[in-house]
Formats: sequence, C-alpha cells, structure tokens
Amino acid sequence: MADSKINQPVVGRRAFVGGTLAASSLAFLAACSNNNASNAGSSTGGDSAPAAGNTLNYYINNPVCIDPYNAQEDQGIQVVFQLFDTLTEYDFEKGEIVGLAAESFESNDDATQFTFHLKEATFHNGEAVTSQSFKRAWERIVNPSSAVASIYGPSEISYHLSVVKGYQELLDGSATELTGVTCPDDQTLVVDLNNPYADFAYVVSHPALSPVPEAADTDAENYYLAPIGNGPFKMDGKWEDGQEINVVRYDDYYGTTAKLDGVHFSIQRDQETAYREFQAGNLDVCDVPVAQIDAAKSDRGVSEDGYTMSDGQHMLLGSEPSTYYLTCNNTAEPFNNADFRRAISMAINREAICDSIFSGTRTPADGIVPPGIDGYQEGMWPYCKYDQAAAIELLDQLYPADGDGKRGITLQLSYNLDGGHQAIMESVISDLEAVGITCTSDTQEWAAILTEYQDLNYQFGRLGWIADYPIYDNFLYPLFHSDSLGGDNRSGYSNPEVDELINQARATVDTDQRIDLMHQADAIIGEDNPVIPLNFYTHQIAGSDRIAHLYIDPLKKADLSEAELA
Amino acid sequence: MQEPSSTQRGGMAAKAETKAKVSGAKSRTLWGDAFKRLRKNKLAVIAVVWIIFVILVAVTADLWAQQWLGSPTASDTTQLATTSLLPPSPEHPFGTDLNGRDILVRVIYGARVSLTVGVVATSISTVIGLVMGALAAFYGGIWDTIIMRLADVFLAFPYVLFVVAMIAALGNGLMNVFIAIGILGWPSIARVFRSAILTVKENDYVDAARAMGASDFRIIVRHIFPNSVASIVVYATMNIGSAILTESSLSFLGLGVTPPTPTWGSMIQAGQSYLQTAPWMMIMPGLAILTTVLAFTLLGDGLRDALDVKMKDA
Amino acid sequence: MGKYILKRVLQFIPVFFGVTLILFLLQNVVPGDPIKMIAGDKVLDPAVELQMRVSYDLVQVDENGDPILDENGDPVPVPLPERYVNYIVDLFHGDLGRSYQRKLPVTDIFADKFPYTARLAVCAIILEAIMGIGAGIISAIKRYSFWDILVTLVTSIMVSLPAFWLGMLLQLFFGVYLHVLPLSGAGGGVASAYPEWMYYILPAFTLASVSMAYSARIMRSQLLDVMNQDYIRTARAKGLSNRSVIVHHALKNALIPVVTYIGVDFGSMLSGAILTETVFNWPGIGYEIYRAITQRDWPIVMGGVTIIIVVVMVINLLVDISYGFLDPRIRFGAPKDKS
Repeated sequence: MADSKINQPVVGRRAFVGGTLAASSLAFLAACSNNNASNAGSSTGGDSAPAAGNTLNYYINNPVCIDPYNAQEDQGIQVVFQLFDTLTEYDFEKGEIVGLAAESFESNDDATQFTFHLKEATFHNGEAVTSQSFKRAWERIVNPSSAVASIYGPSEISYHLSVVKGYQELLDGSATELTGVTCPDDQTLVVDLNNPYADFAYVVSHPALSPVPEAADTDAENYYLAPIGNGPFKMDGKWEDGQEINVVRYDDYYGTTAKLDGVHFSIQRDQETAYREFQAGNLDVCDVPVAQIDAAKSDRGVSEDGYTMSDGQHMLLGSEPSTYYLTCNNTAEPFNNADFRRAISMAINREAICDSIFSGTRTPADGIVPPGIDGYQEGMWPYCKYDQAAAIELLDQLYPADGDGKRGITLQLSYNLDGGHQAIMESVISDLEAVGITCTSDTQEWAAILTEYQDLNYQFGRLGWIADYPIYDNFLYPLFHSDSLGGDNRSGYSNPEVDELINQARATVDTDQRIDLMHQADAIIGEDNPVIPLNFYTHQIAGSDRIAHLYIDPLKKADLSEAELA
Repeated sequence: MQEPSSTQRGGMAAKAETKAKVSGAKSRTLWGDAFKRLRKNKLAVIAVVWIIFVILVAVTADLWAQQWLGSPTASDTTQLATTSLLPPSPEHPFGTDLNGRDILVRVIYGARVSLTVGVVATSISTVIGLVMGALAAFYGGIWDTIIMRLADVFLAFPYVLFVVAMIAALGNGLMNVFIAIGILGWPSIARVFRSAILTVKENDYVDAARAMGASDFRIIVRHIFPNSVASIVVYATMNIGSAILTESSLSFLGLGVTPPTPTWGSMIQAGQSYLQTAPWMMIMPGLAILTTVLAFTLLGDGLRDALDVKMKDA
Repeated sequence: MGKYILKRVLQFIPVFFGVTLILFLLQNVVPGDPIKMIAGDKVLDPAVELQMRVSYDLVQVDENGDPILDENGDPVPVPLPERYVNYIVDLFHGDLGRSYQRKLPVTDIFADKFPYTARLAVCAIILEAIMGIGAGIISAIKRYSFWDILVTLVTSIMVSLPAFWLGMLLQLFFGVYLHVLPLSGAGGGVASAYPEWMYYILPAFTLASVSMAYSARIMRSQLLDVMNQDYIRTARAKGLSNRSVIVHHALKNALIPVVTYIGVDFGSMLSGAILTETVFNWPGIGYEIYRAITQRDWPIVMGGVTIIIVVVMVINLLVDISYGFLDPRIRFGAPKDKS
C-alpha cells in the first residue's frame, strides 16, 4: 500500500507498505543473462568488475528486509523473489493462479480449507522443503516470541495469515502453534480458515509466506541477513547494508535452473543516482526518474507489451496493480455528501497530472481497481473522470457560487511535502480553484498525517494502494469493507450492502461468479464514490543493451531464470 | 552547511564586539557620522537600494504581478501540456515550472515569505537574546552560569537538526518558522550583549549611576543599552540574512511554509529533480536568495565599519 | 593545566545531558506515533502493534515479558524519566537501541554511515584550511589589491548563498555540462562511473564553502592585526625582509585563532552535513538522521545526535586544550568568550 515512488531521491521506501517519502522507485532486475556457457554458478558477484560475464547488475534501494519474515516493501521483495519460491504465483500472461512450490492445490466447497501438494525440492543448504517448512515459516511470522522476533521485533506482515485458524491465539500468546496449518505428510499442507476466502491461493503467492529451513529458527540472527531459501538463486555472502546483495544460481533448484551465474543487487541511495550509474553503463536494469522519462523512451525504445524487454525495446511502461487516490473523510462535512465527492472527483484533471507531471508514467484512474487485476473493467466508477461542467452543476446545488465564482467553502488537503507529491497536489488545488473551491494544504509530516487519517480527523488527503495480491478483493475488502474500519479503510465508508456482496464473493469458489459479485460491490462503491482515485502506476524501468530478453511482471517480479543476454 | 554560519556569525560578532570601542561620550554624533561613512561605502549603498527594491516589489506585488505574469499558485491544468517547464522567454522571463506557473511571479511572492521570516525571526532572537544576555551579565553568578550553559546546549546542538526537530514538533506554518528560527538564534546575541555589558559595566559612569541609587533596570536601559546598540544593530542586520538562509534550507527540506505559497527554498527543491532538463527552475530562486542575503551581509559589513563596531584592521 | 582540562570536561556534562534531554522530551511533543508508522501506509494489527511496543521497551511488562494492561485494557507506557535513564544506561553499555523502521541496531547502521560523513568532513576541513588560509594571507599581504577585493567579494558571496544551491550549481556545471565530475553518490561501488576520490570533490567543497569564507576573513584580519603589533614593526625596523617577517613572525601568531576556528568547525561540519548530503545523495549520518526525524525513527535520531555531540565535544575539548597550551593567558584563567 502505499504509494510512494514518485520521483524523489530518498531512501528505500516501503512500497508494499508504505510510503512516505517516497521515492522509490521500483527496482528492478536486470537481467543479463546470457549465453555463455559458464559453469557452475558460484560466486561472481560482488566486488568484481561491473557487469562481469554472466552476472546481472540490478538496482535496488536499501531494503528494509530480505528475510520473508518482514518482506513487504518493493525493494527487499525483489531479492526475496529470487531467493524463495512460494506455494503459488499469479501468471499475468495467462491470467490465472498457478502452483510454484506447490504441484497442485484445491479448496473445499465453501472455501474454508485449502490443501497444497508440494513439489519435491530442497533449500539452498540441502535440507528438504516439506510442509513443515511452511508451517515453521508462518508460525515464525505470527508468533511474537519466535527466535527472530526476540532479536528484530515482531513481524509487521502477519496480517497475511489473519484469516488462518489459530492466528489470533498464536499472536496473543495463548497458543504456541498455528493450529489452522496441519501437515498430514511431508508433501501435503492443509490450511483451515476462520472465514471463507476463495482467494486464499493468491494470498500464499506473497513472498512473505515462503518456506524456511530450520536454520531460520536456530540461527535467526544470521539468517535475517543471509536467508536460505528454495528459489532459483542463493545468497553469496550476506546483505551488506547500504552496499550490495549478491546472489548466485542454485544448481539443485527443482525447476529450470537459471541461465545467469548470479545477480548483483547494487544498492543505491535513490533513483537519480542509480539512473546516472545506469547511463554510465554500470547497471543493467534501473528505474527511470520522471524527469528523464521522455529522453529514456526515445533512447531505450518502448517495449510493446510494457513488461518484456527485447532488442531495441528496453523501456518498460506496463501498468502495475497500484492506485494513487485521494481519501475522503466520509464521516464529516462536507465529504459525507456523495454528490460533493462526485463533484470534486469530476473537477480534477487526471490527464494533466499523468501526461505533464508524470510524463505518461501514470494512467488516469477510472476506478479503484487498476488494469492487470483479474476482472478489471474500464470506466468502472462513473464519476472518476474529468468533467468540469458536471462538477459545477453538482456544486451549484450544494454551494452556489457568489459573484466572483467563489462558493464560500474552504477545504483542507492533507499530504506530505516530500516524495514529489507536491506538484500533483498543487495541480488538484488549481483544478478546485477553477470550480470556485479554495483549498488549503495541511502538510505535516507523514507520520502525523497517517495518525489523522486513522482517527478520521481530516477532510481529504492523498494515499496510495499497492496490491499485495493481484485480486479484486485486495482493493475492495481492505479499503471499503466495514471490517477494515479502523484499519486500512481510512475513508470511514461503510455500506452493509457492499459488505454482504464482498462476503459472498469471498465464499464463492468459482472465479467467474466471484468476480461478478465483486463487480456488483464495486459498482455500488463507484456510485458512492467514497474516495477519489487519481491515477494508476506503471513501470518506469529501463534496461541496458545487453539484455536480449527479460520479463518483469506487474508486481515487479523479474523472471530472471528466463532472462537472456544479447 | 549554511547553518553553522549563523552561529559562527554570532561568534564573530561577539569577537568584534569585545573589541568595539564603546565609550560613553559620542552618542549624539555616532549616528550622524555613521550615516556619512555609510554613504561613502558604495557596496553598502547598492545593498540598501537593492533591499528597498525587493521590499517594494514584494509589498506592491498584488497590484501588478499577477496581471502581468499570472497566478503564483494556481494554474490552468487543461493547458499544462503547453505551459509546463518552459525555458525563460520574453513572456516568462524566468521560465515556468512543472505546474506551468511563471517562476518570476513565484520568486516575487516568495520574497514576501523570506523578508518576513528574516525580520520577524531576527526580532524574536534579538529580544530573547537581549533579555538573556542582560540577565547573565548583570546578575552574574548562578544566573550567568545557567544562561551561558543553556546557550552552550543550544549551540552544541546540530543546528539544522534542531530547527528541523522544532518544526516537526510545532508543525508547519509561517508562525512556527518564526518561532523556531527566532528561538534558536538567541544564544549568539545573548553572548554579544553579555560581553558588551561586561565591558561597559566596569566604567566609572555606571558605578556613579549605581552610587546615585539607580535601579539595575534603569542602568541597563539608560546607560548600557545605548552603548551596545551599535553592535546589536550590526548583528541584527546580518542575522536577517542568516534567517532567510535558514528558512530557505527548511523549505528546501520540505518543512515550514505550506504550499501552494511559494518560497525560494521549496522552489529550488522542486527544481532539483529537473536539474538536467530544466535548470532555470532552481537557478532563478537561488539568485533571489543570493542577492537578497548578500545585500544584508554587505549592509551589515557597511554598518559595522560605519559604526566602528569592528576588528581593528579596517 | 590538568585542572583546566578537568574544568572543561565538567562543563560538557550539563551540555551533554541538556541536549539529550531536550531531544528526548521532543519525542513526546512531536505529533505522530512512530509505532503506528512502522507499517507505512498500512495499519498494524493492534496485537502486533502492542508486541512492537513491548519489543522496543515502550510499555511495562510483567515478569513473563507480557505487557501489563490497565483497567481499560490499554498497555501502560514506561514513564518518561525511566526511559531516559534506560537510554543513558544502555548508552554507557554501547547500546543505542534498534531502529523502528529498519529493525537493525542503531550502532550497526551508524557504523556504516559515520565513516562517510567523517571522511567528507575531513576533506572539507583540509579544503577549508588550504583555501581559506591561503586566500586570507594573500588578501592581507596584498591589501587593497585586486586580489584582496576579489577575496572579499567572493567570501561575501559564499556566506550569502544557500550551500545546497551552490552544490546544485556545481553539479550542473561540472556534472551536467562538463561531464568531468560525478553528480552525486559516494562511489566506491562495483559499478562506479568515476574513481572514488572524485566523488568527494563537489560535496567537500560545498560543505566547506561557508567556513572557507569565514576562515579567509579571520585569517586576513588576524594577519593585519598582528602586522601592526610592535614586535613586527621592530622586526621590520631591524631590516628583515617582508617575506621573512611574515613567515617567521606574523603568520605563526595569526594562525592560532584561525586554527582554533577550523578545529571547532569540524563539529559543525558533522552536523551541518544534512543539506550537503541531501543534495549529493551522500550516504552519511546527517541525511540518515534527517530521514529518521521525518519518519519518527527516534532511536536513530537519538543515537545519531548523541554520536555527533560526543564527537563535537571531544574535538572542541582537544582544540581547547591545544589552545590552552599555545596561549598561556587562557590557562591562567583570563576571561574568555569562546564560541
């Protein structure tokens, strides 16, 4: 969630969670890969020359965590993706959830129990990956007295498992295991849920829910800095804070072994520094700062599908499952009036923000759910468009304009000044000025603003939402369901009809029916317009000429094993 | 980087002051002579002219600037594609920013913030500094120790961090910028005033006044203050420049005055990402800071020379 | 002398506690709950939030390590004075706590950052000493010459422009237009575009700019001051060459205040580096602390400021002591107003 990533120099931000100062950038992967026949993949990475041989130089900001234990922000997660394989992954090309570490999986009829059948696999230290490895990993995240928690504090991402039976008991210390997770045999993992949740197979695609070996408990301190996983690459050395992380090919990987010898994650302070290194030829994949987008587009060549780099097409601009929006306080004047929210929404020129301020690296939002999410429909929210005349018409009924065109109403817009949000917010303020509404800025620091949001002590302000899992539910449930009030539902929106439809959808195993129910809920929400979506994020990733083929999915998971160098 | 200078500048002023010739007799002619000397200092005269010009522009901006250059805050987003990031031209002498606004008009309105902060914050520092300095010098002993140690605490604190933390605590807003910069400026002037008093205090006429039964307050106001006022004026003039610099640093870091009110520092910050593609975004507001602060520095130097508050060399 | 040193050391104690105490109190005035902010835009599960407070010793726990709850079921915060005492006690055990945002121990984080800032400050000091003193000497010797006027003008400009802006101009000129120096970063990575030392030039110059101007001015005035002294006139009268007088007599005496100024200035460079580090994306301590303030990552703020204060104090003390050796008047308790 979070947004972030606008264009600014700053430190590694959290994006899945996130952001304040923004920044960030996405990171990338770079892939260089290639065809030389190198042998055994042992280390190359580190201190050797740039882009040596078969090793890819890949930019990230300093991550918060590379252990699945706290994997959340978009930087560390890039590394976790390469070190670990979760049970499932979403195949964006096919548009379906498929097994990864799981051979197959199924749920019972009311979506309260999921069974995963595992592939035979080993961790990088040779230990077998079994159902116990998953149970261990998940308990480690939830249990506040696990070995790692006692050193690095409790995990922030245990919410992924909140739907699993026994979660609350383990979290509050009244149980010592996650009772909803059972292991009938080494290759079978059974998960019982508190409530029906047909999308649970998507939840377990999150890298935080990767399996861990025994060492994660017995040697928690070192494991945190040099995790041992089951993915196509293994750590070479440990995470050098602020400098680098090196991974090399794992030859006993259960799937197709990677073609690359390794990946050198070069930790840069910010996007702009990184991009200069990229321009100097020292990085293979890099985020492009917004100010450089136009130049990069013509220099690098825009990728046709937005996600795949190939010869002459090294600039990725495909959309990401993330939405930048204005949250409105639905519980207080004046935003408790749906017509008012609709009017404000229609008064905002989204195209101007996307085209001029972001140089086309954002697309205007037409609803809360972005493209790329299974079930996305164009124009889902009727008022999520620029229509100044309609906005004025609505406003005239609520706050008639005086002779000067002023409506005698002053709004307070909350946002943080760092992270490049200012230009966007000033554009919004100008648009509102144009329809006769004066807008002042509440620009405290992000910490203070978040507190205001949570206390519903604000009028409207900016937020970003980056999906944890690419599903419809991950936008509607956290943002608009009554259960999420006091949590991520910061608008205070509550509609029993919507709650009921979302609950039904969650209990519906059939994908088409489930999405249909989600559409019904989304249509009602769109009509109420509780928040004001502004734009959807896109990739802004450039690759070097060395890259012959590299696919980076909308969640920024790079498929490095398939990457090829020219 | 800029910040330490304001404390250093205070330190230098203190040093200058201890060497100032503070004799009791010349109060009448002091100012007249000083004015004559100041007029001969070409740099100081230019500085005064520039300061007056900037003040006039800032004060009268509402009457002409927007009609000529458009709004400093709002922009027409439907025209953004053709108005954003234009280089300097006759129509937009300083170019336009990302939101398509004219940079010259934003610099003009930014002058209001800078000048106000400079003057108000300096006034606050001066008042607190005078009171603290007087208490320390006049009562000495435990007062002196406490106040001077407190000054040490303030000066030992990393200056930028202190202002940043103060703004974080107080919240953004012009008033809080006054307070934060004002409060943090007191130790320097307290030291200046304290050492000035210590020098004067030993003079016979102060003893005489005391012998005649004058109260401490009266002695300070009637005898000591007039004899220290020259150094305080010099210090305060220079401090205005420092305060403007500090405010620009704050707004560069995204703190302080809230948008869309333009400030020079926030304009530079907005231009940072566009250093390579639209350098005018950061160059123009920077020139405004440089010329204005330089004017106050030169005026301060000129006053120092004219008032003979000075190291012996000049 | 021993007594003098002891006195200076004792004077630092209240300053140290004053600064840390103010910072500590500030945490409780500043709006925004750092623990709520840990998960970024996301909202922490209340149970996790409570565990988080336990793990940072912010709430009272019973002997099993479970949080103590009051009658409303809310956790009982550890009283502020107790937290301050804990902080100081831990500090003397070399423990600065753990970052809220980054989880790692503060000492580990600064072990990585401090060398960058220290190296930058050292480079800046060297630049300041060479260029500042050099310019001051030229300016004083060739008084009223073109060079004197130039130095005066340039130093006036340098103290009047925001150093972060100067940094950006340098980036624009040397990095963007001329392409001869790196724009930003500290280099040294696997993939650096320039030799590592080149990364230091622009930030060090920027950091040194203001101090350089001041040391040039001080040097100039001190040298002029000294050259008016009787013993210099005597030396001249004896027929010694101008050069010899300056090198053997005047310079030595004029240097003392400048060197003192530069020494003390090292401290302000450490703390003044925030803006330079921001402009040049320098991976140092100043930027880390600034970031931490905006994120309410108090352990980093406290730890970073504590480190700076201690270093600054030690340096000031060393400067004081050496100054005391050089100038006996100070040792014997003449009034002194050091800033």
